[in-house]
Amino acid sequence: MKTTTKLATALLAATLLHPAAGFAQTVGPNGESATPSSDVVLSDEDIAALSGQGYKAALLWHTSSDFINAVSAGANDEFARAGVDVVVTTDAGFDAAKQRSDIETALSAGPNVILSLPLDPVTSAAAFREAVESDVELVFLSNLPADYVHGTDYAAIVTDDLFQMGKQAADVLAEAIGGEGEVGYIFHDASYYVTNQRDQAFKTTIETDYPDISIVAEQGISDPARAEELASAMLLQNPELDGIYVTWAEPADGVLAALRGAGNTETKIVTLDLSEPVALDMVRGGNVAGIVADEAYELGRAMAAVGLKALLDQETPAFVVAPALTVTADNVAEGWQQSLRRDAPASVLAAQ
Amino acid sequence: MTAPQSAAPTTPSLLARLSGANLQQYVVYVGFLAIFLFFAVVLRDSGFLTQRNLINIILQTAPVTIMAIGLVFALSAGEIDLSIGSTVAVSALGGAMAMAAFPQAALLAGIGAGLGMGLLVGLVNGALVAYLRLPSFLVTLATMGLFAGVARSLTQLRSIPVTDPVFTGLFGSGNLFGIPSLVIWTIAAVAIGHFIFRQTKYGAHVLATGDNARAAMVTGIKVPRVRLSVFLISGAMAGLAGLLYSGRLQAAKYTLGETDLMTVIAAVIVGGTLLNGGKGSIIGALVGSLMMGMLNNGLILMGLSVSDQMIVRGLIILIAVAVSLRETSR
Repeated sequence: MKTTTKLATALLAATLLHPAAGFAQTVGPNGESATPSSDVVLSDEDIAALSGQGYKAALLWHTSSDFINAVSAGANDEFARAGVDVVVTTDAGFDAAKQRSDIETALSAGPNVILSLPLDPVTSAAAFREAVESDVELVFLSNLPADYVHGTDYAAIVTDDLFQMGKQAADVLAEAIGGEGEVGYIFHDASYYVTNQRDQAFKTTIETDYPDISIVAEQGISDPARAEELASAMLLQNPELDGIYVTWAEPADGVLAALRGAGNTETKIVTLDLSEPVALDMVRGGNVAGIVADEAYELGRAMAAVGLKALLDQETPAFVVAPALTVTADNVAEGWQQSLRRDAPASVLAAQ
Repeated sequence: MTAPQSAAPTTPSLLARLSGANLQQYVVYVGFLAIFLFFAVVLRDSGFLTQRNLINIILQTAPVTIMAIGLVFALSAGEIDLSIGSTVAVSALGGAMAMAAFPQAALLAGIGAGLGMGLLVGLVNGALVAYLRLPSFLVTLATMGLFAGVARSLTQLRSIPVTDPVFTGLFGSGNLFGIPSLVIWTIAAVAIGHFIFRQTKYGAHVLATGDNARAAMVTGIKVPRVRLSVFLISGAMAGLAGLLYSGRLQAAKYTLGETDLMTVIAAVIVGGTLLNGGKGSIIGALVGSLMMGMLNNGLILMGLSVSDQMIVRGLIILIAVAVSLRETSR
């Protein structure tokens, strides 16, 4: 995908040129500079202008998950604050054709703002065209339809700092294994921009920042249900693995099961996105060294806010970024609050 | 003594049909009407009844309807084709790749490669089932996985844009005298499929093969050829659906068709085709497909959460299937 390659190259270039941590490392798909999500806020005048106007919004997601629930919560709360009615919520199940259908159906309900994660730049370009022509304000999560122009076609892209997530995962794992050793790299073997970016960032950081750590085993996974058998095979072939990176929390469950099955308490795991079973293992001092999470609620809030600003004909930043955060056994409760705006699961809090 | 000329089951007179306790085959039409009326009332201010929305439902269900036509033939002959979803993907990708490779003859290349892939899958399935006498469930389960893998590796998961305006106009994004091309394709495919199924000797042979293959063979029907042919039809229909998807999305991707198998099966069964063969309905499959598209559309417009949409949809399909199939065990 051209856009992804451009973004990856831009991110890598930005990293090498700006070693200081922070938003300087992340640029948008067309080189746009990042605006922190904390800068995108609806003022009291904005709220007053929006209330009582009968505006409607639609949330057209690509899948259902804890992450999407939190993003939706942030968006729903912000829309409610502004008196905007969320009329339609859909889940495309990673199916490009269903996403197209969802958009068409949603347009029948007459929304003024649509929040969505386009499944891939190529198929979503035609899919969202009708929404663009209907003058609906579009806000995209993490991904952008090919050749869409900021301002005319869409209001903003809002994303978690995909590069930072992968990088912080590398940092956590490196620290957990003492800065040297051999690691396994379990990546998402599908054409999905979000995981592809994060996985690549982990790999790049290990290769660039940690010369004493080498990735000795790579395994792609597309069906989380197969994680346990793939991890078992990896461990069988590399019994001395110091650490494993797992692309997201659902396959991480399977990797943990593989480690338990092998009686392995030494190998450290790092993964992305909060999940109860993975966090429980971490809090109990098991294999999980850390989880890198994004501020999902904040993403939703920022998406709604920027969409409504566009509705009010205000200038909107092209590329809005919400921070990534590293969650370890020490800050589990705060991590859940900051990322998902709710309490960590009872089992996790009890095990602390 | 000459064998009977044809194995076509005699169609009972209209009166006989109505007076028989055979009303279950009309359940899909009643169900469709009931659901339509429900949404028409509840969603009257939410955009359900707009011309745009109703046409959208036809556009969204067109590929499934076309695949359903192929599956009606396969099921009626006593077989099943689980590979249709994967066939959609390889056909769409094959067509898109051919169009990118031969831009001067894009339309011909796209149609040739797309339908060609569909027929190829159908040939593989049909040959294994008809001549090696392998069970179609297992054969098509295997080819489903095989061709899903092929689809993934064809472009290393990348999507291919489909930009030829004649192709996209013809296959999913264009209009003819204001009628969207997908609507025309649906009507044409259903009309031709229904005619062949109901009005030709071939259609009768398909039903006879599914009803009782041994008896059909005794009466002179070339059962292996019939079996091979229904897989070719199913594959070709899936190939056509692939072309329609890529025309509508203006891109081809390995995920196309991945989730359609269960929807197609549901549409076909709810529409009155028997899983065991011997009885089928193309029109019923069309109405079944439209009913499910309408259900998806209406539940979304009602503002239900995604989880509730899935629960309600499952319940309604359960009721529809239970009512329509209850009679067949008698």
